[in-house]
Amino acid sequence: MRVIISDETKVRFRYPARAVGIVGAVLMIVSIFLPWSYGSGALDDVGFYGAPSPLQFAFVVLPVLILLLLAIPLVGKQRLGQWAKTVAWNTSAKTASLATLATVLIGLAAIAIELKGLVNIDVGGFTALVGALLAAVATPFLPDSPEPTLARVKSPTWLQILGIVLMMAGVLFAAAFALNQTDAGAFLTFVAFLVGVVLVLRQLGVMAWIGIAGANNNRVLVLAAFATAFAFPFTQNGSDANMSIASQVLIFAAAALGLNIVVGLVGLLDLGYIAFLGAGAFTAAILSESAFSTLDFHPPFIVVVLISGTVASLLGLLIGAPTLRVSGDYLAIVTLAFGEIFRITMNNLDGNDGPNLTNGSNGIPGIPDLEFLGFNFGDAHVIFGVDIGRFANYYWLMLLVIALIIVVFMNLNYSRIGRGWVAIREDELAAEAMGVNTFALKLLAFAGGAFLAGVAGAVKAHHDVSVTPDQYVFLESAFLLAAVVLGGMGTVVGVLIGATILKLLPEKLRFFSDYRLLLFGLLMVVMMQFRPEGIVADERRQMEFHDEDEELAEEIEEELISHHAHLNPERRGFDL
Amino acid sequence: MLDLFFQQLINGLSLGALYALIAVGYTVVYGIVQLINFAHGEIFMVGAFGAFATWMLLGQPTDWGVSASLLILLPLMLLGGIVVSVTVALLTERFAYRPLRNAPRLAPLITAIGVSVFLQEFVRLFYGRIPGFPDAKSAIPFPSVAGISGEIVRIGSVTIQMPALFTIVALAISTLFLWFFVNRSKTGRAMVATSQDPDTARLMGINVDKVIVAAFAVGAGLAAIAGVAHGLNYGNIDFRMGFLAGLKAFTAAVLGGIGNINGAVVGGLVLGVVEAMATTFIPGQFGSSAWKDVWAFALLILVLVFRPQGLLGAKVVDRA
Amino acid sequence: MTQVMSGAGHHVDASTLLLQASSVTMRFGGLTAVNNVSLDVHAGEIVGLIGPNGAGKTTFFNCLTGLYKPTSGEVRFAGELLPPKPRLVVRAGMARTFQNIRLFHNMTALENVMVGMYSRTKTNAIDAVFRLPRHRREELASTERARELLDFVGLSSAADMLSRNLPYGDQRRLEIARALATDPKLLLLDEPTAGMNPQETRQAEELIFKIRDLGLAVLVIEHDMRFIFNLCDRVCCLVRGEVLVEGVGEVVQNDPRVIEAYIGAPAEPPADVPPPTAEPPASEAGKGSADA
Repeated sequence: MRVIISDETKVRFRYPARAVGIVGAVLMIVSIFLPWSYGSGALDDVGFYGAPSPLQFAFVVLPVLILLLLAIPLVGKQRLGQWAKTVAWNTSAKTASLATLATVLIGLAAIAIELKGLVNIDVGGFTALVGALLAAVATPFLPDSPEPTLARVKSPTWLQILGIVLMMAGVLFAAAFALNQTDAGAFLTFVAFLVGVVLVLRQLGVMAWIGIAGANNNRVLVLAAFATAFAFPFTQNGSDANMSIASQVLIFAAAALGLNIVVGLVGLLDLGYIAFLGAGAFTAAILSESAFSTLDFHPPFIVVVLISGTVASLLGLLIGAPTLRVSGDYLAIVTLAFGEIFRITMNNLDGNDGPNLTNGSNGIPGIPDLEFLGFNFGDAHVIFGVDIGRFANYYWLMLLVIALIIVVFMNLNYSRIGRGWVAIREDELAAEAMGVNTFALKLLAFAGGAFLAGVAGAVKAHHDVSVTPDQYVFLESAFLLAAVVLGGMGTVVGVLIGATILKLLPEKLRFFSDYRLLLFGLLMVVMMQFRPEGIVADERRQMEFHDEDEELAEEIEEELISHHAHLNPERRGFDL
Repeated sequence: MLDLFFQQLINGLSLGALYALIAVGYTVVYGIVQLINFAHGEIFMVGAFGAFATWMLLGQPTDWGVSASLLILLPLMLLGGIVVSVTVALLTERFAYRPLRNAPRLAPLITAIGVSVFLQEFVRLFYGRIPGFPDAKSAIPFPSVAGISGEIVRIGSVTIQMPALFTIVALAISTLFLWFFVNRSKTGRAMVATSQDPDTARLMGINVDKVIVAAFAVGAGLAAIAGVAHGLNYGNIDFRMGFLAGLKAFTAAVLGGIGNINGAVVGGLVLGVVEAMATTFIPGQFGSSAWKDVWAFALLILVLVFRPQGLLGAKVVDRA
Repeated sequence: MTQVMSGAGHHVDASTLLLQASSVTMRFGGLTAVNNVSLDVHAGEIVGLIGPNGAGKTTFFNCLTGLYKPTSGEVRFAGELLPPKPRLVVRAGMARTFQNIRLFHNMTALENVMVGMYSRTKTNAIDAVFRLPRHRREELASTERARELLDFVGLSSAADMLSRNLPYGDQRRLEIARALATDPKLLLLDEPTAGMNPQETRQAEELIFKIRDLGLAVLVIEHDMRFIFNLCDRVCCLVRGEVLVEGVGEVVQNDPRVIEAYIGAPAEPPADVPPPTAEPPASEAGKGSADA
């Protein structure tokens, strides 16, 4: 549903449109000083005069952006100079207005639903709605801006690093703010706001600029990202609930990143991947000090991790060696069958249907917290005056594991092995004919991915306290695959985002927990129709899904070249 | 011992007939569009729920006589199940798979997983919302049909449950129908032609879209019959029943050589018998019924590794 | 030039027997695609393989390169029996291009060439993950070598372009560079000028001579008669899976059976056959269409 407005109309109405847009933005800015609702039970209480709630303070960013985007060009083209073309003023204002309208609508809907009735919307809410409607209706009448060239602006290194740091700070703030929204309506409104901000920044070219800055200062970017992730527990005031979610997200993401090697790089569809996570978890549980452990061998955790990974990768070899010769679709089903065999076997090794190893469906409960060099992961402690609880400890451990996985992933990707993997995905026969040992490489991916999942599983066992077979059903494999597909096959950032979305949304939106799987199924179908390459597209993958799009091909190439210009092979990947 | 063998053979054949009815759907669709229709197990499940809905609409008859049940109730339930299954299958084909026909093969497979989850959840959440219908979040008792449910036939010391016999007979009739459809009808022959060479078939004026629709419809119809048979055999239906049955039926299709219709029937029967025999004749703990699925899947892996073309063989699968 | 082709640039003894295919037969069910074909290629030689469509040229190629396992007969390379595995054939020193270009379309030209170096490099997963010196050294050396090879085939400016975006002729040349990256002693080219205009064909010809000058032997399938007789030291003509004639260019060119195979029954006495400048009509039809 795209409304097309002719260029002549746009030229004719450009002044009134700008004026109306500005009025709308001002109205929205004013609205945060007015109460949005009569009761206090919605959006974390937005019922005050003159005292905006934190959510309203965040929200006002969008209208201010619209105001700036519309007002600054008023100084005239001459004075703007090169900036007239560097920034996509009008188009960005349009995007921002539509995003703002969406945010306002979701917020008002949340008020109406949570306080039961539209009557609970107060004057501020209506002011915001009117403002948002004005801006959203007016801005499409502005002439389209040319493609922004902000990304190509030459900037000094300090500015680039500052940009990266600012972005990371923004990410940290947004993550903390989103997680602290206990109310589903407030959470959704904030998410809509975030999506809007990201879209506007993309439209402005800020995202592309940051991308290039990141490529130029690869190590700064990586360090900043990890510093941000590391700092996250300090924003939580010792809230175990949020840290529990965060550490679960990381465990899930670690497994998804392992799967990403298999699916994203080599193109092998594995539908039983959860079995490797399970193998790691069961191994760690059996080797733990739990009273229900069935083996009398309890090595220190660092050994357990290695054993867990090895057991998982041995399973990977066991299933991969005979089956990696069959074609793609079959491999998917074989791995699915293998996943089921794993679950049933874990269920049956209960001393009744087989030797007792796992206590059957009861699993192994009472797994003690990790002890590491005298440090107990179950202990809470205070750092810089902030309570750091049990889950924060596991969160940091998983952060380390993820860092390891990313290093492995990137370093392999930018090596002879990674090139072999991509070649296999592109044309297996040609790869073989060029001397690539396709079988060995596929097996390596399979076993390597399994190893990483096994390591994540070992931590998961201690994190969850108990391990049972019913945690490792097919649906979990489907979820892992969905995280990879949704985020973007073959990318690290995409998979992290995908894993976060899939784990975080259900936790925060409990009211639709019953519809979770329904929406999940629908999402998979819709995603494959409209954006099969995922949220963050890997350049090559994107091409595979849009084979006929020559324009996109050239665009991607331009991007690749601009990246290559900044990157010599030495600087790709990470040094250890 | 021999009695036990024959008893298990009969049990295995009836189980296998169920697999075979579902497996045909995998095989025809794969033969024509090279798609593993992962959601086909859910088409089977939906068929069972459709049959149940028909029974509800008939006013939940419980006291009909044998002849009325066999001549009116059962055919109507089958028809209801088939209508629902075919409708759902065609909708998924039209809206989920058709737009992806030229996409990389990963896309339709992932879509199929999505469709599968969606259909399960749809039934679980909304079946009970129909006024008067039971909640489908747990298993629903399937109506009994006089003359089949609870009846047994004895041949010597071998006992045959009537529902099991019904499944076998249903498979026999369906196979006969399939044979005529494929070899004698215009659409059936177009299907064979398309599966052998889609491009040439299109050049010869065959409407490939129509053929694909026919393939989905035929598979769905047989799956619905299997759904009714499942209900009669086990006495209840469940929104989850399609997953395992679908996986087993796929195994059967591979066993017989995917793309080969006769192979699907033979593969289903072989798989059923192997399962039944494994639980009886494998000694010790691993012979318990808890392991039967493991043996079935192990068989799938062995076949794929050592004889990917299946027992009866099919066209070359790997088109590299 | 010798530093470009580090492995093969040394002194070439033209009498060395490189490829020795003896009595190769390939049957598919009832169809005999290649029947009892024997062919030798010596070091530093350019040998042409011609024949009408369906003569079994590409099938023979596939037998040589391990894509097919011949029903009977054997293929020896430098005296060693070749295992029927493409990857091991490459290791032995034989690389090929494909009739219908099979590049890795979504990789850059440079990456394509670097994939060709796979069998000549040794970095393993551990080296790569920990970025050990071997990985760094090999990575730098491979990048440099790949750039040299791109330069050699005249694609140095296209290094960072996706191979799918290259013009058709450049894609063919990139495929040759990728094959050269495997450091072969014998290069097998399957219709390297199919679909090219006369100018591009001439460039391809020059490129093949350049490759020969490096000390490599070349076995080339072609339909373009002028191209093949300009280029080749020896030509072998296959018809219906069997060797019809083999010998130096002029002999094959003037052999009445070859002309018959291409044009049909001889309409004129062989002596009056037009010079090779005029292409036989069959080759026209053959261009671009698939050859079994």
